[in-house]
Amino acid sequence: MLEKTFFLLCLSSALGNELCTPGASDGYKVRLSINTALGEEAYPWNPNEMFLFRASLAFAMRNHIAGQIFEVSNIVVCDETPRVSFWFVVTSPLNPSELVNKGNVEEAVRKSRNRINSAFLLSDNTLEFVGIPPTLAAPVSPDTPPWLIVFGVVMGAVGAGIVAVLVLSVVQKKRKKSRKTEDEDTEVEIRPKAMENGDGVYNPSFTDEEPITQM
Amino acid sequence: MEKDARPNWDNPLQFLLACVSYAVGLGNVWRFPYLCQMHGGGGFLIPYLIMLILEGVPLFCLELAIGQKMRLGSIGAWTAINPYLGGVGLASVVTSTYLCLYYNIINAWSFWYLFNSFQSVLPWGDCPINANGTGYVEECEKATPTQYFFYRETLNISSSIEVNGGIQTSQALLLLLAWVISYLFIIRGIKSTGKVVYFTATFPYVVLFIYLIWGFTLHGAVNGVKYMFTPKMEQLANPTTWINAATQIFFSLGLGFGSLIAFASYNEYNNNFERQAIMVSLINSGTSVFASIVTFAIYGFKATFNYENCLERTRLLLLNTFDLAEDTISLDTVFEWIEKLNATYPQEFAEISSKLETCDLESELDGAVEGPGLAFIVYSEAIKNMPLPQLWSVLYFSMLLLLGMGSMLGNITAIITPLRDFKATSCISNELFNGLVCMFCFLLGLGFTTTSGSYWFTMFNDYGATFSLLFVVLIEVITISYIYGSKRFEKDVEDMLGHRPNLYWRIMWKFVSPLLLITIFIFYIVSYIRGGTPTYQAWNKELGKSEVTEYPVFGQVFIGLLLLSSVSCVPLTALYVYCRKRKHGHHPRERTVSTVCD
Repeated sequence: MLEKTFFLLCLSSALGNELCTPGASDGYKVRLSINTALGEEAYPWNPNEMFLFRASLAFAMRNHIAGQIFEVSNIVVCDETPRVSFWFVVTSPLNPSELVNKGNVEEAVRKSRNRINSAFLLSDNTLEFVGIPPTLAAPVSPDTPPWLIVFGVVMGAVGAGIVAVLVLSVVQKKRKKSRKTEDEDTEVEIRPKAMENGDGVYNPSFTDEEPITQM
Repeated sequence: MEKDARPNWDNPLQFLLACVSYAVGLGNVWRFPYLCQMHGGGGFLIPYLIMLILEGVPLFCLELAIGQKMRLGSIGAWTAINPYLGGVGLASVVTSTYLCLYYNIINAWSFWYLFNSFQSVLPWGDCPINANGTGYVEECEKATPTQYFFYRETLNISSSIEVNGGIQTSQALLLLLAWVISYLFIIRGIKSTGKVVYFTATFPYVVLFIYLIWGFTLHGAVNGVKYMFTPKMEQLANPTTWINAATQIFFSLGLGFGSLIAFASYNEYNNNFERQAIMVSLINSGTSVFASIVTFAIYGFKATFNYENCLERTRLLLLNTFDLAEDTISLDTVFEWIEKLNATYPQEFAEISSKLETCDLESELDGAVEGPGLAFIVYSEAIKNMPLPQLWSVLYFSMLLLLGMGSMLGNITAIITPLRDFKATSCISNELFNGLVCMFCFLLGLGFTTTSGSYWFTMFNDYGATFSLLFVVLIEVITISYIYGSKRFEKDVEDMLGHRPNLYWRIMWKFVSPLLLITIFIFYIVSYIRGGTPTYQAWNKELGKSEVTEYPVFGQVFIGLLLLSSVSCVPLTALYVYCRKRKHGHHPRERTVSTVCD
């Protein structure tokens, strides 16, 4: 029994190794830039991390193709480099010698891209699937563009300022006009007063009448 | 009897600040650094300072003296100096009108950028995504996000001056705002202007100072400043350097528009304008140097940022192609590795050689830009890479706004003051008249908010107020020195200041400045003739870059009209006055310039 399973495992991995080649038509190249993303807190790449990758990819395949139970063994990896890049292919759980279609793999990765990224603390740019472009964030477009709001506020303030200045100048003009008519009344009073005080002759050059002395 | 005596500045400081606010404008920020870079860095300061002494200060003082003595705007002042030369004032007013029409568009752009800074992500930082969500907008990919934001989302620019579109609503609204604020600032003439200039003259310096401190903390800023100030003395042998220094001083001080005459006409008769002229000219030039230090610190930061990004991209390319571990190549060792890999794997290297960019810090710094391109494209690119970019963006664009609005104060005053000297207009209230002028300029300025508006802006900027100003100021200085008489003028100055102008002023006014102006004038004419068809930069959206295009025939005709309309005011007015004098020759009458509204 044990030998049978052992033999089957060896066979499947041998088959898998034949299926996975760099440049395989149904395979993808993966590239991780851990140092760039995490700097000081970068973790070393080792077989455990590779296991995590295969597991998360199996998870992605399970999510995409309902009904089929993908195992870690269905994700075959080869051509690992010190860059931390490698090729992988996905074998079908129903038939280990058959590869899952490239399109399906791409769809699965796209759907669960976020989850795969967070498993490794990386982003779309630092965990690259060569050939699967990163998903672009949907543009957030508010109903009223923000500049219009600020514009409204500023325009309102300036408009209020202008109205205030105009009203102030109209009020000032009215006040000046009423003061002027008051002055004219008092002027008319001064002249007869001067005449009343004494039996003198009215000498205009000594009265405090502005219209005459002003140049 | 005068119903309203001529208004005065509340104190001489207001007049000084008004002149500073007017003279220190956008040109100090976006033209001087460019000239500095083109003409040998620190070495450019030598011709610049020499021209300041020979031409800037004397001509500035001359205009202030005329305004303060005549106590009238440019038209009235020149008519009083010599009735045949009232056209000089009229030419000033025409040129100022052109300036008012197009200058406020820059303020509208500043408002656009300022208001768009109040977002969590600056909109010029990234390219927008295209319609089907598969990638970025193509035009943005070919150009840069900041260029795309300026040419497409701000201006919605058409492909050439001949292709016209509709008015951009956003730009029209912001132009309206710019004019409404301008109206608020000049609503009561200098009574309101005098209060505003306390702010518009001082705040830009606060921002420049903050930017100076901040700029020097940025990584790579010192590269820019070092590059700029390293003098290349061989440039001093180039006559263009000296001509450019002279023209920069000339335009930077705002001579010939009539604004200085207008401002000075509201002075007390005995105001010491001589000292103020020296102060303002020195402050203006000092600000230019100060602003260029800041500009180059920011340049240095941006250039270093781009250079290091280029190195990073190259490093990644090498790592990915040759599958080396990440820490084998660092930013410093990129060039060594390029050579090493080229030697060891020549075949694979040849495959990627097309994708390999040349990263050069010098060439990044060399890309000298001037004008709106510098202010809105280059600077906003630098700002988006700073930490807390919204704060720096708001600060920077508010500064641009205040510089522009401060200059607008002088421009509008240059139109209003001479027009109000006429009997016919002094019956209308101050507020109404100023409102009418602003409305008129706004409605005509809407033409600059169309899709081809920015090309018309460039035309006005390059031709509307350059040649005519040289002509006007040349006539001014020759009139004062030779027609009005330098002896008479010196006596007027002595009357106002209490002492005769010393030898420096006399020599400059009579000989040096006119000679310099004639030289610049001839140089301009020669370069116009030799330059062939005038050209402009048209934005090509397929290629994502600007291309040099010739003006179409109607454009060239319009340029000719722009130049002629202001320059011809002088001979036409002289002719008109001559004809009128001949007609009324047998009815001699005392004709004085009347300033009273009966």
